[in-house]
Amino acid sequence: MSPKKSFLKILFQAALIVVFSLFIGVIYNTLSKEGISLKGSWSRKVLSDSLVVPYSYDKADPPAVTLTQAMTYFQTHSTVFLDARLEGDYKAGHIPKALNLPFEEFEQYYPKIEPLLSKDKDIITYCDGTECEASLFLARLLKERGFKNLKIFFGGWNEWNKAGLPVEKTL
Amino acid sequence: MLFRLIVGITFVYASLDKIAHPDEFARAVYNYRILPGFLINIFAITLPWIEFFCGLFLILGLFIENASLLILFLSLVFALALSLNFLRGIDIACGCFTTDPNAKKVGAVHLTQDIILLLMSIQIFIYNRNFLSLQKLFQKK
Repeated sequence: MSPKKSFLKILFQAALIVVFSLFIGVIYNTLSKEGISLKGSWSRKVLSDSLVVPYSYDKADPPAVTLTQAMTYFQTHSTVFLDARLEGDYKAGHIPKALNLPFEEFEQYYPKIEPLLSKDKDIITYCDGTECEASLFLARLLKERGFKNLKIFFGGWNEWNKAGLPVEKTL
Repeated sequence: MLFRLIVGITFVYASLDKIAHPDEFARAVYNYRILPGFLINIFAITLPWIEFFCGLFLILGLFIENASLLILFLSLVFALALSLNFLRGIDIACGCFTTDPNAKKVGAVHLTQDIILLLMSIQIFIYNRNFLSLQKLFQKK
Protein backbone atom coordinates (compact mmCIF):
# COMPACT_ATOMS: atom_id res chain seq x y z
CA MET A 1 0.00 0.00 0.00
CA SER A 2 1.34 3.45 -0.81
CA PRO A 3 2.11 5.69 2.18
CA LYS A 4 -0.50 8.19 1.06
CA LYS A 5 -3.19 5.57 0.84
CA SER A 6 -2.34 4.09 4.23
CA PHE A 7 -2.44 7.57 5.77
CA LEU A 8 -5.91 8.09 4.32
CA LYS A 9 -6.94 4.77 5.79
CA ILE A 10 -5.63 5.81 9.22
CA LEU A 11 -7.49 9.07 8.88
CA PHE A 12 -10.69 7.29 7.94
CA GLN A 13 -10.41 4.92 10.89
CA ALA A 14 -9.70 7.86 13.18
CA ALA A 15 -12.91 9.46 11.91
CA LEU A 16 -14.71 6.23 12.80
CA ILE A 17 -13.42 6.54 16.38
CA VAL A 18 -14.87 10.06 16.46
CA VAL A 19 -18.24 8.91 15.15
CA PHE A 20 -18.21 6.03 17.62
CA SER A 21 -17.42 8.43 20.48
CA LEU A 22 -20.23 10.74 19.38
CA PHE A 23 -22.58 7.78 19.42
CA ILE A 24 -21.48 6.55 22.85
CA GLY A 25 -21.44 10.10 24.18
CA VAL A 26 -25.01 10.80 23.12
CA ILE A 27 -26.24 7.46 24.48
CA TYR A 28 -24.40 7.91 27.77
CA ASN A 29 -25.68 11.45 28.06
CA THR A 30 -29.26 10.33 27.50
CA LEU A 31 -29.01 7.61 30.14
CA SER A 32 -26.96 9.53 32.68
CA LYS A 33 -28.55 11.52 35.50
CA GLU A 34 -26.00 14.26 34.92
CA GLY A 35 -26.95 14.49 31.25
CA ILE A 36 -27.26 17.84 29.54
CA SER A 37 -29.46 18.87 26.66
CA LEU A 38 -27.89 18.24 23.25
CA LYS A 39 -28.35 21.80 22.23
CA GLY A 40 -27.58 24.17 25.04
CA SER A 41 -28.71 27.75 25.45
CA TRP A 42 -25.49 29.66 25.76
CA SER A 43 -26.57 33.03 24.52
CA ARG A 44 -27.06 36.10 26.63
CA LYS A 45 -30.54 37.03 27.72
CA VAL A 46 -31.86 40.44 26.83
CA LEU A 47 -34.19 41.67 29.55
CA SER A 48 -34.60 45.13 28.06
CA ASP A 49 -32.73 47.55 25.78
CA SER A 50 -30.30 48.53 28.47
CA LEU A 51 -30.24 45.28 30.38
CA VAL A 52 -28.44 42.23 29.03
CA VAL A 53 -27.59 39.37 31.39
CA PRO A 54 -25.56 36.14 31.02
CA TYR A 55 -27.37 32.94 30.05
CA SER A 56 -26.95 31.58 33.60
CA TYR A 57 -28.90 34.41 35.22
CA ASP A 58 -31.97 33.13 36.96
CA LYS A 59 -35.15 34.77 38.20
CA ALA A 60 -34.25 33.80 41.77
CA ASP A 61 -30.95 35.71 41.55
CA PRO A 62 -30.49 39.21 42.97
CA PRO A 63 -31.90 41.89 40.64
CA ALA A 64 -29.82 43.21 37.76
CA VAL A 65 -29.29 46.94 37.42
CA THR A 66 -28.60 49.07 34.34
CA LEU A 67 -25.77 51.55 33.97
CA THR A 68 -28.12 54.43 34.80
CA GLN A 69 -29.34 52.69 37.92
CA ALA A 70 -25.77 51.85 38.92
CA MET A 71 -24.87 55.54 38.57
CA THR A 72 -27.75 56.52 40.82
CA TYR A 73 -26.63 54.02 43.43
CA PHE A 74 -23.10 55.30 43.02
CA GLN A 75 -24.26 58.75 44.07
CA THR A 76 -25.88 57.46 47.24
CA HIS A 77 -22.85 57.01 49.34
CA SER A 78 -24.17 54.12 51.36
CA THR A 79 -24.02 51.75 48.40
CA VAL A 80 -20.96 49.52 48.30
CA PHE A 81 -19.64 48.36 44.94
CA LEU A 82 -17.87 45.01 44.91
CA ASP A 83 -15.44 44.27 42.09
CA ALA A 84 -15.53 40.51 41.47
CA ARG A 85 -12.53 40.48 39.14
CA LEU A 86 -9.00 39.37 39.97
CA GLU A 87 -6.76 41.75 41.86
CA GLY A 88 -4.65 42.66 38.83
CA ASP A 89 -7.69 43.84 36.90
CA TYR A 90 -9.03 45.69 39.91
CA LYS A 91 -5.77 47.55 40.38
CA ALA A 92 -5.62 48.50 36.72
CA GLY A 93 -8.90 50.37 37.12
CA HIS A 94 -12.20 50.11 38.95
CA ILE A 95 -15.32 52.02 39.95
CA PRO A 96 -14.24 54.56 42.61
CA LYS A 97 -14.40 53.25 46.19
CA ALA A 98 -15.32 49.76 44.99
CA LEU A 99 -13.89 46.96 47.12
CA ASN A 100 -12.11 44.04 45.53
CA LEU A 101 -13.63 40.63 46.28
CA PRO A 102 -12.56 38.29 43.48
CA PHE A 103 -15.06 35.52 42.98
CA GLU A 104 -12.33 33.06 42.08
CA GLU A 105 -10.46 33.70 45.34
CA PHE A 106 -13.52 34.28 47.49
CA GLU A 107 -12.44 32.29 50.54
CA GLN A 108 -9.16 34.13 50.71
CA TYR A 109 -10.56 37.66 50.36
CA TYR A 110 -13.91 37.37 52.13
CA PRO A 111 -12.59 37.51 55.73
CA LYS A 112 -10.87 40.80 54.93
CA ILE A 113 -13.88 42.34 53.19
CA GLU A 114 -16.66 41.05 55.45
CA PRO A 115 -16.12 43.58 58.30
CA LEU A 116 -16.53 46.40 55.78
CA LEU A 117 -19.95 45.21 54.63
CA SER A 118 -23.35 45.56 56.18
CA LYS A 119 -26.00 42.94 55.48
CA ASP A 120 -28.81 45.48 55.17
CA LYS A 121 -27.14 48.07 52.99
CA ASP A 122 -27.14 48.10 49.21
CA ILE A 123 -24.35 46.12 47.63
CA ILE A 124 -23.71 46.04 43.89
CA THR A 125 -21.44 43.41 42.39
CA TYR A 126 -19.85 43.78 38.97
CA CYS A 127 -17.11 42.23 36.87
CA ASP A 128 -15.88 42.72 33.36
CA GLY A 129 -19.09 42.99 31.43
CA THR A 130 -22.07 40.99 30.27
CA GLU A 131 -19.85 38.12 29.16
CA CYS A 132 -18.54 37.40 32.64
CA GLU A 133 -20.35 35.67 35.44
CA ALA A 134 -18.09 36.46 38.37
CA SER A 135 -20.46 39.24 39.52
CA LEU A 136 -23.42 36.84 39.43
CA PHE A 137 -21.59 34.03 41.25
CA LEU A 138 -20.26 36.45 43.85
CA ALA A 139 -23.78 37.79 44.45
CA ARG A 140 -25.02 34.22 44.88
CA LEU A 141 -22.32 33.48 47.46
CA LEU A 142 -23.16 36.63 49.38
CA LYS A 143 -26.87 35.86 49.24
CA GLU A 144 -26.13 32.49 50.86
CA ARG A 145 -24.33 34.39 53.61
CA GLY A 146 -27.39 36.43 54.42
CA PHE A 147 -26.89 39.65 52.48
CA LYS A 148 -30.27 41.07 51.62
CA ASN A 149 -29.89 44.06 49.33
CA LEU A 150 -27.71 42.67 46.62
CA LYS A 151 -27.78 43.90 43.06
CA ILE A 152 -25.76 42.95 40.02
CA PHE A 153 -24.45 45.44 37.52
CA PHE A 154 -23.88 43.21 34.50
CA GLY A 155 -22.67 46.02 32.27
CA GLY A 156 -19.70 46.00 34.61
CA TRP A 157 -16.36 47.65 34.20
CA ASN A 158 -16.58 47.80 30.40
CA GLU A 159 -19.83 49.77 30.34
CA TRP A 160 -18.76 52.03 33.19
CA ASN A 161 -15.39 52.81 31.65
CA LYS A 162 -16.84 53.32 28.17
CA ALA A 163 -19.40 55.79 29.50
CA GLY A 164 -16.50 57.97 30.66
CA LEU A 165 -17.55 57.82 34.31
CA PRO A 166 -15.04 58.44 37.09
CA VAL A 167 -12.58 55.62 37.66
CA GLU A 168 -9.99 54.86 40.27
CA LYS A 169 -6.66 53.09 39.98
CA THR A 170 -4.56 51.46 42.64
CA LEU A 171 -0.86 51.90 42.13
CA MET B 1 5.90 2.29 24.83
CA LEU B 2 6.44 4.47 27.88
CA PHE B 3 5.08 7.52 26.06
CA ARG B 4 2.09 5.50 24.97
CA LEU B 5 1.26 4.68 28.58
CA ILE B 6 1.82 8.25 29.79
CA VAL B 7 -0.31 9.82 27.07
CA GLY B 8 -2.94 7.06 27.33
CA ILE B 9 -3.33 7.35 31.09
CA THR B 10 -3.37 11.16 30.93
CA PHE B 11 -6.18 11.14 28.39
CA VAL B 12 -8.28 8.51 30.12
CA TYR B 13 -7.81 10.31 33.44
CA ALA B 14 -8.68 13.68 31.89
CA SER B 15 -11.76 12.27 30.21
CA LEU B 16 -13.34 10.69 33.29
CA ASP B 17 -13.99 13.93 35.12
CA LYS B 18 -15.48 15.47 31.99
CA ILE B 19 -17.71 12.46 31.40
CA ALA B 20 -18.93 12.64 34.98
CA HIS B 21 -19.63 16.38 34.86
CA PRO B 22 -20.76 17.33 31.35
CA ASP B 23 -22.33 20.57 32.57
CA GLU B 24 -19.05 21.83 34.01
CA PHE B 25 -17.16 20.84 30.90
CA ALA B 26 -19.73 22.54 28.68
CA ARG B 27 -19.24 25.71 30.73
CA ALA B 28 -15.47 25.39 30.26
CA VAL B 29 -15.97 25.04 26.50
CA TYR B 30 -18.25 28.06 26.53
CA ASN B 31 -15.57 30.01 28.38
CA TYR B 32 -13.15 29.57 25.51
CA ARG B 33 -15.50 31.71 23.42
CA ILE B 34 -14.63 29.87 20.24
CA LEU B 35 -17.44 27.48 19.41
CA PRO B 36 -20.88 28.83 18.49
CA GLY B 37 -23.50 28.21 21.19
CA PHE B 38 -25.40 25.43 19.47
CA LEU B 39 -22.27 23.28 19.09
CA ILE B 40 -21.06 23.58 22.67
CA ASN B 41 -23.12 20.85 24.30
CA ILE B 42 -22.69 18.25 21.60
CA PHE B 43 -18.95 18.96 21.63
CA ALA B 44 -18.87 18.65 25.42
CA ILE B 45 -20.70 15.33 25.19
CA THR B 46 -18.50 13.82 22.48
CA LEU B 47 -14.99 15.06 23.18
CA PRO B 48 -14.44 13.29 26.52
CA TRP B 49 -15.35 9.98 24.90
CA ILE B 50 -12.90 10.55 22.06
CA GLU B 51 -10.26 11.22 24.70
CA PHE B 52 -11.32 8.17 26.66
CA PHE B 53 -11.20 5.76 23.72
CA CYS B 54 -7.97 7.17 22.30
CA GLY B 55 -6.33 6.94 25.71
CA LEU B 56 -7.62 3.42 26.24
CA PHE B 57 -6.44 2.32 22.79
CA LEU B 58 -2.99 3.70 23.47
CA ILE B 59 -2.76 1.89 26.79
CA LEU B 60 -3.93 -1.39 25.29
CA GLY B 61 -1.96 -0.93 22.12
CA LEU B 62 -4.92 -1.09 19.75
CA PHE B 63 -5.41 1.18 16.69
CA ILE B 64 -2.30 3.03 17.79
CA GLU B 65 -1.87 5.03 14.60
CA ASN B 66 -5.46 6.23 14.63
CA ALA B 67 -5.55 7.02 18.31
CA SER B 68 -2.23 8.86 18.32
CA LEU B 69 -3.25 10.82 15.23
CA LEU B 70 -6.48 11.89 16.93
CA ILE B 71 -4.65 12.82 20.11
CA LEU B 72 -2.14 14.75 18.06
CA PHE B 73 -4.99 16.62 16.42
CA LEU B 74 -6.80 17.28 19.72
CA SER B 75 -3.64 18.56 21.40
CA LEU B 76 -3.00 20.82 18.44
CA VAL B 77 -6.53 22.25 18.57
CA PHE B 78 -6.23 22.74 22.31
CA ALA B 79 -2.87 24.50 21.90
CA LEU B 80 -4.35 26.79 19.25
CA ALA B 81 -7.41 27.54 21.37
CA LEU B 82 -5.25 28.34 24.40
CA SER B 83 -2.90 30.55 22.40
CA LEU B 84 -5.80 32.37 20.79
CA ASN B 85 -7.30 33.27 24.16
CA PHE B 86 -3.84 34.16 25.41
CA LEU B 87 -3.62 36.74 22.64
CA ARG B 88 -7.19 37.92 23.10
CA GLY B 89 -6.53 38.31 26.83
CA ILE B 90 -9.42 36.10 27.92
CA ASP B 91 -9.00 34.33 31.23
CA ILE B 92 -10.30 30.88 30.36
CA ALA B 93 -10.94 29.95 33.96
CA CYS B 94 -13.77 32.46 34.15
CA GLY B 95 -14.15 33.23 30.48
CA CYS B 96 -13.65 36.89 31.16
CA PHE B 97 -11.09 39.36 29.95
CA THR B 98 -8.25 39.87 32.34
CA THR B 99 -4.87 41.44 32.63
CA ASP B 100 -4.05 39.48 35.75
CA PRO B 101 -0.60 37.88 35.45
CA ASN B 102 -1.67 34.84 37.48
CA ALA B 103 -4.27 33.88 34.92
CA LYS B 104 -1.59 34.03 32.24
CA LYS B 105 0.68 31.80 34.28
CA VAL B 106 -2.03 29.14 34.49
CA GLY B 107 -2.46 29.38 30.74
CA ALA B 108 1.27 28.98 30.17
CA VAL B 109 1.41 25.85 32.33
CA HIS B 110 -1.49 24.31 30.39
CA LEU B 111 0.12 25.17 27.11
CA THR B 112 3.43 23.58 28.13
CA GLN B 113 1.70 20.38 29.31
CA ASP B 114 -0.24 20.24 26.10
CA ILE B 115 2.83 20.69 23.93
CA ILE B 116 4.61 17.88 25.79
CA LEU B 117 1.64 15.60 25.12
CA LEU B 118 1.63 16.74 21.52
CA LEU B 119 5.30 15.86 21.04
CA MET B 120 4.82 12.47 22.69
CA SER B 121 1.89 11.66 20.43
CA ILE B 122 3.99 12.58 17.38
CA GLN B 123 6.66 10.21 18.60
CA ILE B 124 4.06 7.46 19.13
CA PHE B 125 2.58 8.03 15.69
CA ILE B 126 5.93 7.72 13.94
CA TYR B 127 7.97 5.20 15.94
CA ASN B 128 7.86 1.80 17.65
CA ARG B 129 4.17 1.34 17.17
CA ASN B 130 3.96 -2.27 18.08
CA PHE B 131 6.11 -2.82 21.12
CA LEU B 132 4.05 -4.69 23.74
CA SER B 133 0.75 -4.02 22.05
CA LEU B 134 -2.38 -6.07 21.43
CA GLN B 135 -2.18 -4.90 17.85
CA LYS B 136 1.01 -6.90 17.41
CA LEU B 137 -0.72 -10.04 18.65
CA PHE B 138 -3.43 -9.64 16.04
CA GLN B 139 -0.94 -9.09 13.29
CA LYS B 140 0.90 -12.29 14.12
CA LYS B 141 -2.20 -14.43 13.68
